[in-house]
Amino acid sequence: MYISMNWIKDFVDLNGIDLEELINRFTLSTAEVEGIIKHGENIGGIITAKILKIEKHPGSDKLRIIKVDTGNETITCLCGAKNIQVGDIVPFAKIGSIVDGRKIEKVEMAGQVSNGMCLSEKELGISEDNSGVMILDENTEVGIDIKKLLDIDDIIFEVDNKSLTNRPDLWGHYGIAREIAAITGRKLKKLEIEELENYNNLKDVNVKVEDTEKCYRYSSIEIENIKNNKLDINKRIRLYYCGMRSISLLVDLTNYIMLELGQPMHAYDKSLVNNIKVKSTDKDIQFKTLDGNLRNINKGTLMIWDNDTPISIAGIMGGENSEITEKTISLLLESANFDSVCIRKSALDLKLRTDASAHYEKSLDPFLTDIAIKRYIKLLEENDKEIRIVSNLTDIYAKKYPEIEIQITKEYINSRIGIELSENRIIEILKSLEFGVEQNGKILTIKVPSFRATKDVSMKADLVEEIARIYGYDNIKPQTKEQSLKIVEVEEDKKVENTIKDLLAIKYGASEVHTYVWYDKKRNKELGIEVNEDNIKLANSLNANFNVLRESMIPSLLYTLNENIKYYSDVNIFESGRIFKYPKKGENCVEVKSLGVILCSKNKSSKELIYKGIEIINSIMELNKNIKVRMKDIKNIKYNWISPVNSAEIIYNNDSLGYISELNINIKDNINNKTNIVVIEINLDKLNAIKVINKKYEEFSKYQPVEIDISVLMDKEEKYSSLEKCIDEVKLKDLLKYELVDIFEDDKKLQNKKSITIRFTLLSKDHTLSSEEINNDLQVLIEKFEENNYYVKK
Amino acid sequence: MEEKLKKIKEKVEIQISQVEEINSLEKLKSEILGRKGELTQILKNLKSYDESQRPKIGKAVNDLKRLIENKIEEKKQVLKNQELNKRLESEEKVDFSLPVKEELGSLHPITIVQREIEEIFRTMGFTVEDGNEVETEYNNFEAVNVPKYHPARDMQDTYWLENGQLLKTQTSAAQNRIMKKYGAPLKAIFPGRCFRNEDLDASHENTFFQLEGMMIDKDISVANLIYFMKTTLSEIFKKDLRVRLRPGFFPFVEPGFELDVSCMYCEGKGCKVCKQAGWIELCPCGLIHPKVLKMGGIDSEKYSGFAFGLGLSRLAMMKYGITDLRLLNSGDLRVLKQIGIK
Repeated sequence: MYISMNWIKDFVDLNGIDLEELINRFTLSTAEVEGIIKHGENIGGIITAKILKIEKHPGSDKLRIIKVDTGNETITCLCGAKNIQVGDIVPFAKIGSIVDGRKIEKVEMAGQVSNGMCLSEKELGISEDNSGVMILDENTEVGIDIKKLLDIDDIIFEVDNKSLTNRPDLWGHYGIAREIAAITGRKLKKLEIEELENYNNLKDVNVKVEDTEKCYRYSSIEIENIKNNKLDINKRIRLYYCGMRSISLLVDLTNYIMLELGQPMHAYDKSLVNNIKVKSTDKDIQFKTLDGNLRNINKGTLMIWDNDTPISIAGIMGGENSEITEKTISLLLESANFDSVCIRKSALDLKLRTDASAHYEKSLDPFLTDIAIKRYIKLLEENDKEIRIVSNLTDIYAKKYPEIEIQITKEYINSRIGIELSENRIIEILKSLEFGVEQNGKILTIKVPSFRATKDVSMKADLVEEIARIYGYDNIKPQTKEQSLKIVEVEEDKKVENTIKDLLAIKYGASEVHTYVWYDKKRNKELGIEVNEDNIKLANSLNANFNVLRESMIPSLLYTLNENIKYYSDVNIFESGRIFKYPKKGENCVEVKSLGVILCSKNKSSKELIYKGIEIINSIMELNKNIKVRMKDIKNIKYNWISPVNSAEIIYNNDSLGYISELNINIKDNINNKTNIVVIEINLDKLNAIKVINKKYEEFSKYQPVEIDISVLMDKEEKYSSLEKCIDEVKLKDLLKYELVDIFEDDKKLQNKKSITIRFTLLSKDHTLSSEEINNDLQVLIEKFEENNYYVKK
Repeated sequence: MEEKLKKIKEKVEIQISQVEEINSLEKLKSEILGRKGELTQILKNLKSYDESQRPKIGKAVNDLKRLIENKIEEKKQVLKNQELNKRLESEEKVDFSLPVKEELGSLHPITIVQREIEEIFRTMGFTVEDGNEVETEYNNFEAVNVPKYHPARDMQDTYWLENGQLLKTQTSAAQNRIMKKYGAPLKAIFPGRCFRNEDLDASHENTFFQLEGMMIDKDISVANLIYFMKTTLSEIFKKDLRVRLRPGFFPFVEPGFELDVSCMYCEGKGCKVCKQAGWIELCPCGLIHPKVLKMGGIDSEKYSGFAFGLGLSRLAMMKYGITDLRLLNSGDLRVLKQIGIK
């Protein structure tokens, strides 16, 4: 919101106060100022001048030769504008004056010399109007500095709207002036209004408020005999500097009042409305707003009606059917207070946020409605002396906010701020903000002024803020708080995550990446990734490509891989993130912590990468939980990036913790057919739930271990784990450990078989094994193997 | 006898000097000093000498034996050195200046910054909590004093899910749950990924990281908040910073502040980074709103507390001099590999 210092000065005497310093203090005490614009700095030396003569330019059809009287001399200049006539008084830039930051010099155009220029409003920087030269009032003195006449010089500061969200009272200059008065300790001047008691005997405006839940107050008045159509120039300059376009006197004044008091108003052409009703529509309707758009209005939206014809969307925008036009000579002025939630909801439904709705949704002070009308009449009279008021100020005050009183003590305030303020100083601050204060012993009873009582100030904490900010946060001395120093241990789940990240980055040279939590449909298509499109969707994504939440980490990691593969021969990446699933469509989603890892290499074979991946998985399990997992064929392949040939589930205690797979070749070929890619995904929630197995030291046996190698012939296709299963099943008492020593494959000698050599280490805790015992053990093993059709080489 | 020993000595010295390998030296040693060696033989036959001569001869032989042993030992050392030198000469000379393949991977900048900050807070007794990414409307808004249709909802464009849940717009969404979990007094931080439904540019991301903290105890004041933030931020930036509070509106705190720190680049003198202001807006904070405490099950008359939010993404950018926020989510290894592990 733009605030004009000239406007503020209407209400607070700022003589002797450095304005920039003041703006800085405003930032520290009230709200953030985002920028300062100094108007008028680029304009200088412009005077008023009278047109004496207008002649044709011999060498140009567009230009004319103008002679102007500047009071003490006659100057010749060239002018392209066609709107001037002899006798008009205009702003004139002599040679040496400054316009838009440039110095005016003597110029020659089509053989004629111009010693200055007549200026338009745009050239003066006071409006967008560049249609012709600005014509000043006919009674204007000639030869005076234009800045004596027009408030071109002004300092505008822009307040961050977000920081005013909770301050409905600051949505107009008068409220800001009140704040500045409190900060500077100066007095706030009374607002000049037209008391309308004299009209009390006139007829009421024909108004009926039917929806008293949504319309708190509706004030209105009728005025006739409008003759003028233009607001005085200095007020128009203020509107322009504050970001408003000038339209017509009646409309400009409603805007002026909104910027001054924060109260939105609406002016209807009185000849077009008779019988005002305020009620919500009981069905969906269509309605043409004054911007010319036909809008679909939802049932339940609060509207203003003329009998049964809608004429305005309450608090948002008026209708085309009743708007003020050039022909308007009488008006019905509305100044109302609507429920903030209702206006905000309607504006969101309609996707139509206007200045008015932005004000209303802040919960405006209902006390403002009649004051706004009185102020409007006052300013209208100044601009159009012959207006006639034809109704009384009709005021329907349907719903009142409760008055708020808060009891508080000095001790409470001081303890929350951490300062030692006297009661007197506290009272002084509150009174400067127009809070009522009653003192009863230690208890202060604070009456909240209406303009702060709509939602902003309702409890002790709010008063603490008022006092602290006016006292000045800068004046509060930092204080330590005694506290026991107990260092907090890293949480177990965090430790697991940290360990995994370190392991992958430090030992396996992988890079941690962050990806988005939604799939990218376009890339899925490019890479051939198929996902469950029925998974949880974003309801309002700005981009339809990104509206399905991820159910797996792998697709987004594949996008990342795809981007990086052109720069690197090996890409190892991982992300520890969240994936999302529906337990049942529409229910609250289940969020799972998940680790995704991708290993990709142009030099290493798929097999090497798979073994590296298994090593990673084993390290993760061992490092964090001291557990060993097993790899098992995947029964139901859930995702199309999992290879039907080379993939396995990671199993612990009969539960799947995730999977490892070669990237399915269809997708791999789309990324790069010359590389090998392996993907791993681990459910970290499941991993975190596993208890750490504590290791215990076991004493060495004093006796000699015996190592025996056994070679087994088995089908090439068959898994090592089948041998393990056999070994586990025989449960040899003396078996200390066994390990894979060699795998031998030879198409000629062994055809479709392979020979696997396992080294068994036998050891007893309490005696040296006899050769008989050893042979016995071996025999059991061999029998078991052969029972399963694994031929043992003797 | 003397003559004999002298001859032996001369002969042996020549032999030793001619040896070129350690193995031959060992062989020579056993030839000369072994059981069959001349000297041993003399000692064995000592009886054949005149009794008065025996001690003298015995001593002379033993002396010679020791002398020879020393000589052999010396020679052995020489040969060993020669052999070592030879091996060194034949050893392959490695070029230490050759580039070595990078084996270390990298951690995400957010991870690194987050760990540093978590560590600082842990030493001050803060528990580190983990929030969800998908939240209920209640936790994200209602429980932090932003009722439906409150204009404050405009401050954050929300990603709504079709089931009525949302992607959390702020780490504050975890406040309610944490208060209910621990009660008062309470010290906790909760870092996490947040989402805003907006278009991307160099300073806007729809996915970014925040870290929020709360401290609740008896009689916590604004003065405590200022002290705490000043010390903690100085610790984070490893620099003695000044802080200042400005009014700021955040529905879950009352009073609410924007906290500025003196610019760490120019020490507050004014530079490009702080846009000549000398201050950098860093962190929203404030005393926790009594309604928020109440909804978290904490007696707001008995306890007060403060909450603050730090932009982890922003801190990571500041730490590494990254100027485009989007790079953090780009997964571009050309960026991330530069960061390494620290």
